[in-house]
Amino acid sequence: MSTNPAEQKRPDVWIKTKDSELYINPLPVRIWHWLNALGFVALILTGTHIRYADMFNVMSFETAIKTHNWVAFAVIANYFVWLGFYVFSDRITVYHPELNFRKFFDKAFKQIMYYSYGIFRGAKSPHKVLPYDKFNPMQSITYQIVMLLVVPLQFITGLMMWDVKRFEAPIAMLGGLNTIVTVHVLIYIFFVSFTLIHAYMGALGNTPVTHFREMFTGYEEEH
Amino acid sequence: MLVRSTSGGTSAVLPVLTVFIICCMLFSGVLFALQAEETPVTESPKAESPKAESPKAESPKTEVPAAEAIAAEQSAVSTAEEVKDPAALKLEETLKKNSKCLRCHKRDKTKLLEDGKEMSLQVHQEDYLASAHGEVSCVSCHRAIGKRKHPSKKTNITIASVREYNVEMNDSCRKCHIQKFKQYKGSVHSALVAQGSDKAPVCTSCHNPHAPVSMAQYQAETGLPCKNCHENIFNAYSTSVHGRARIKGNTIRDSHIQAPICSDCHHSHEVTALAIGDVLRTTCIACHENVTLLHNQWLPNTGTHLDIVSCAVCHAPFAQHKFDLHLYDNVAKVPLALKEGDAPIQEQLQAIADEGGTGDPLEIWKARGGLGQQGQSADISLRSRMEVMSGVAAHQIASKSFAVRTCESCHEPGWRQKQNVTVSITQPDGRRQSFEANREALSSVKAVESISDFYALGGAPSKLLDILLLLSLAAGIAVPVGHFTLGKMIKEYMARGEK
Repeated sequence: MSTNPAEQKRPDVWIKTKDSELYINPLPVRIWHWLNALGFVALILTGTHIRYADMFNVMSFETAIKTHNWVAFAVIANYFVWLGFYVFSDRITVYHPELNFRKFFDKAFKQIMYYSYGIFRGAKSPHKVLPYDKFNPMQSITYQIVMLLVVPLQFITGLMMWDVKRFEAPIAMLGGLNTIVTVHVLIYIFFVSFTLIHAYMGALGNTPVTHFREMFTGYEEEH
Repeated sequence: MLVRSTSGGTSAVLPVLTVFIICCMLFSGVLFALQAEETPVTESPKAESPKAESPKAESPKTEVPAAEAIAAEQSAVSTAEEVKDPAALKLEETLKKNSKCLRCHKRDKTKLLEDGKEMSLQVHQEDYLASAHGEVSCVSCHRAIGKRKHPSKKTNITIASVREYNVEMNDSCRKCHIQKFKQYKGSVHSALVAQGSDKAPVCTSCHNPHAPVSMAQYQAETGLPCKNCHENIFNAYSTSVHGRARIKGNTIRDSHIQAPICSDCHHSHEVTALAIGDVLRTTCIACHENVTLLHNQWLPNTGTHLDIVSCAVCHAPFAQHKFDLHLYDNVAKVPLALKEGDAPIQEQLQAIADEGGTGDPLEIWKARGGLGQQGQSADISLRSRMEVMSGVAAHQIASKSFAVRTCESCHEPGWRQKQNVTVSITQPDGRRQSFEANREALSSVKAVESISDFYALGGAPSKLLDILLLLSLAAGIAVPVGHFTLGKMIKEYMARGEK
């Protein structure tokens, strides 16, 4: 059993499993993650098509706009699957298992050292993936910023652009349409590299498919 | 005896009287019949007269039975000498009042003006009396030429030009046509006259003062009087869907209401330049009521499109376009318009235009002394609207089936970069003054702040954001590739070391 106090206190009540210690990604998280991944790829592609309309001729501008809007609403709805799961379950601890900053920075430093050196020498990750302590400190901080700040900001700015007239007042309050669009585009630019790097780092498990399998089946393979 | 003799005489007179009465009745009966037959013949020449063509000629009076018509005619003839028609009386009175003037002015007389041209002083008596002014005395308008005030060779009154005389006389219309004159005073025409324009129309430019006709008698299809000055625009209108519908008698659509002529959109007296703010849109929507609903079926952000894109941009498919940046009062939420007495601001506008509209308009406004204009807000920004290049283009509205419906027409950077950009403000007379600006204006980084309320998707990617995107994409590829390669190299190095 885990030595993590959070892990000991909270048995996995979400879905009964044969071995809860290895059950990393419960079903709602997996559904959310893959829908979100598909949605993000579709949004980035249609977004690029909209922004550089004269460079691509895959679909009409009208289709690109309509697809972008529909996918965006699906992604927003899907966001609430993620939010709902973590608000109403005890798995929220994966984002902040212990509020100890010293320990946090220490672990973060070790993690950076691992990715920039240790990993090449065949060292093991300093972070042990557990159901209630899933993320290493780097993941924890990045995903919190992304999911609680960047993604909602992208949703809000996108929603305003979807119906400029309806959101006239908040748009004016936030500095005008041009500001809203610029923020939306900056976040899109961020997600272009984020998605690529995220996918690459997913392949940095014990084997290149470890984390991908984890995200499909929910279980971490025995090691 | 007397009784007897009377009674004896009566017996002889009675048959004679009876025969006489019968003869009279027969004679009057024949006369009656003859007259009844003659009645339509006598009335027919009247029907051919111009007056008979008027709607009044078709009144039920003409359908009364012949006997009643004769009776009415007879009574009219009998009373004609006693009571005259009030209108005829008034006309006679006017003629009497104006007789002194018309005695000379019905002749072809001219006056030599200071500009060397001759001004006709002739008034065609028949036209004048038949016109709406027929009952008005000459001095009602020509107040300066009353009794004992008539110009003579001695007084030697000089007139600079016909135009100057017409402008000078314009106020005399106000006396009777109070409402119309007030509307005219608020028009762009009146404002131009006040500015000293030698072409902008005064009342008499459209209405002949000595033979004015009612509005209904204008033949709008000819474009007159507007065409006199706006010929190019009227020609463009004539070939438009509105103009063609008008000429064909509005047969384009069965249920179509009458297609608009100049005054339907621009008004006849309070003539306005429709390119101000959303005046044009309001004018179009006044007839095309379901326009928002129809666009909403396919056009995303319909409200914004209708706000920012002038109707003619899509509905005049062959027109050239421009992005017009206008100063906008963010507090009053209206395009900034100069008022009478405001200092001229050409310099400020030119400065904004020179910087490609990318400077902070408020700063430029402040620096050039634009602030402090009466009643103007300090919260000013630039707003952009897509418009057609010229007034002529704005009138080339095509049929709905030719309207632009492809998004790519506007939402493509390549297309966008070819369009003209102008900076403009509404002058006190209601017209827009524009300055050509740099085409880069809309894609500049500064535009995020200075043109805060305008953005066209796919149309204006800023170069800085393009570079950032490329950097992001490069990082997204370089980080995994670099990390992977580095790892491989280290592993190989270590493997070699172990050997």
